[in-house]
Amino acid sequence: MFLSEILHNFELVKLNLTIRQGILLLLIVFGLITGGVTYFTVRYFWGLDVEKEYLDDRDDMVILASQIETGLDRGDEDPFRFVEATALIQAKDENFSYMLRDSAGIVVSPPFMAGKKIPIKHFEARTKDGFGGMARVWGYDCFVIFYPLSHHPYELVAVYDYNYVFGDEARTLRVFTFLMLGIFLAVALLTWFWLTPVLESSFARRQRAEDELRVAHDLQQKAVTHDFDVDPRFEIHAELRAMKDVGGDIYLCGSLGEKLFFTIGDVSDKGTAAAFMMFMLSSFIRSRVQEGVSLDVLMGEVNRLICKNPEYEMFCTLFMGFIDLDTLEMEFCNAGHTRTLIDGEFLAQDPQLIAGIVPDYVWHTQKLQLHHGAGLLLYTDGVTEARDESRALFGEARLQAWMKQRPAGTSCREDCEDLLQTLASFRGKAKQNDDIAIMSIKIK
Amino acid sequence: MKTTITEKEGIITIAVSGELDTDTTQAFRSEAEPVTQRKGVNVELDFTELEYISSKALRVLISLQQQVIAGGGTLKVTNVQPAVQEVFDMTGLSASLIKD
Repeated sequence: MFLSEILHNFELVKLNLTIRQGILLLLIVFGLITGGVTYFTVRYFWGLDVEKEYLDDRDDMVILASQIETGLDRGDEDPFRFVEATALIQAKDENFSYMLRDSAGIVVSPPFMAGKKIPIKHFEARTKDGFGGMARVWGYDCFVIFYPLSHHPYELVAVYDYNYVFGDEARTLRVFTFLMLGIFLAVALLTWFWLTPVLESSFARRQRAEDELRVAHDLQQKAVTHDFDVDPRFEIHAELRAMKDVGGDIYLCGSLGEKLFFTIGDVSDKGTAAAFMMFMLSSFIRSRVQEGVSLDVLMGEVNRLICKNPEYEMFCTLFMGFIDLDTLEMEFCNAGHTRTLIDGEFLAQDPQLIAGIVPDYVWHTQKLQLHHGAGLLLYTDGVTEARDESRALFGEARLQAWMKQRPAGTSCREDCEDLLQTLASFRGKAKQNDDIAIMSIKIK
Repeated sequence: MKTTITEKEGIITIAVSGELDTDTTQAFRSEAEPVTQRKGVNVELDFTELEYISSKALRVLISLQQQVIAGGGTLKVTNVQPAVQEVFDMTGLSASLIKD
């Protein structure tokens, strides 16, 4: 799911929050934004409407005298903070005067914040005909407008009743406020009770899939040989660079007294099924080799094992070999696997089918005489099919060239690591596209 | 990877150009399957312009072939270029897949 992808890769995961905590955090941020937008919209439009509609066409009062004291006068940190305003106003009829006394408002408009409203706390009527009062910037009842002069001090222009002036606008803006609150609540509830469970289950599914892959990945790592220090008459080392999504590259080696057994293979397909198949093959081959079964028979058995599960559409390329440590004769059987390099030359071999396709196919073994000091390189197609940024293949030629230029006397481990390094620099910024397994053998 | 499907004298030819690798095999499969799922079809995969095939992609060729055979038809690969031929040889699939 797209959203869960984003959230999964989002910082929240790194902060180690649960999904509920993350959503709560997002909702709080969303609430603050909605609240802020509502507050500033209300303030902005409220002030403007008043200024436009009511300031010029009042003929129900006369301002006799006015005075304002701002922060500037008092030397406050915020010089424009409105502190006190007094006005002497003559109302043209008694009703207006009375209304003013009950809830008067003075709206302020200094040059830098046109339309800003400043509620005042207290307004005192003095006489029947006119009144003066003190307005404090506090409370919520009244509003003040000052019109900017070219410079300080500001002049008090009008005194309006809050409800009288703002009735309609107040209602509109109240509706707007409730609408915003409603939208916020709707989004919050929907997110909390619908989206959160959906995300949680999608996360859980993903987590399960990852766990499964991790198990498969561990299986793959456990299935291959790790102990290479088996016999002083030869040196052997192998490396596996498995992809995250689990593939099926495999290698095994071990000493059987007078013989060295080694195998490398690649179960096609990725994912858990391939890893399990590869794990099963590795245990099967291990035990059958120890029982002394011959390579062609073993290959047939492996083939039938894979063919038993046709629904997975799997197949396996596999190279198996014995080296007799007395005579240095190598016997090998290759089911469609990549061509082994011996001292920089490709091993000549009969083409034989990959395992897992034809249940009754019969493989045969071939023999080759090795010599002391011979070096073998076995690899999976992740090596030759590695691609660089321009999608060019690493290919057999580069691999052969690499082997030919290796200095004499390097250890098998160094060779494997150098090849991995070579592949990494060949790829450059391109990503590894397949499992890579490498096995290097040197006869002493 | 690009496929062109033509039908002539009872043989359906699917010409594949470009590269068949891990990234493109799935697309190839879904383009070829409408043909291979039909009963008793004779399919030829024309690889004249196929520059590269990964061994993973062979799996798809094999299952397509099995699909066709199950429906009583045939599937063969023709005009294989040397680089691709090498992969077929290495995996021992030349005999069963490539048309003589």
